[in-house]
Amino acid sequence: MKGIPTVLITVSPEVSAQMRPPRALYPKGFKVGNSVGRPGMRELQRTVLRDALGLLLENTRPGEVVTREYRDYGEQYAPPRVRDGK
Amino acid sequence: MTLSRKCVPFTPFERELAKSTIAIVTAGGVHLRNQEPFNIADELGDLSFRIIPPDVDSSQLMVTHHHYDHADADEDINVLFPVDVLRDLEAEGFIGGVARKHVGYMGYTMQLKAMYEGTAPEIANEIDRGSRADAVVLTGG
Repeated sequence: MKGIPTVLITVSPEVSAQMRPPRALYPKGFKVGNSVGRPGMRELQRTVLRDALGLLLENTRPGEVVTREYRDYGEQYAPPRVRDGK
Repeated sequence: MTLSRKCVPFTPFERELAKSTIAIVTAGGVHLRNQEPFNIADELGDLSFRIIPPDVDSSQLMVTHHHYDHADADEDINVLFPVDVLRDLEAEGFIGGVARKHVGYMGYTMQLKAMYEGTAPEIANEIDRGSRADAVVLTGG
């Protein structure tokens, strides 16, 4: 197996960064369960998915999470944090 | 924060998106209504996964997962499993197509080693064999 290019859309950027994903997008302030937007917001969903797929073409740094902001999303949420003590 | 010491499994992408087929793999507990639900009663987590076909009617998808609020996905599965969104991107020519296999699993486990050494490579094999995916979008927490 020679590997499959992947891009992660994460709403828990700090948790995901621990695993050092090859490519990852964090849509800032999206809550857990809203990877590409809220229900029915198809235009926003398309935008986020295009941006995520676009990372396949960009010179990103493997293991880092790219943060983008989407004003159309509305109210933002604080992402889950990694517990202290490690 | 402790970073994984494993090397980053980076696979270069050397194609055009407009000619590429995309698969979705989600940790959000997504499966077809007529598939066996994930076993949320097992406190160690469910290591199994479900194959989702490319022609799926998104209204036939559901979520079984008890570690996050999936009310939004219940209303519109695309927030987590954007298969209709992928179809839109195919229609507009942004991507080449939707892969032949997608995968849902329940991204919660106390059995990390079994997930990493068993489930994950099994899912990768499913995508590798017969999905015709040129790249994979991963969603989850």
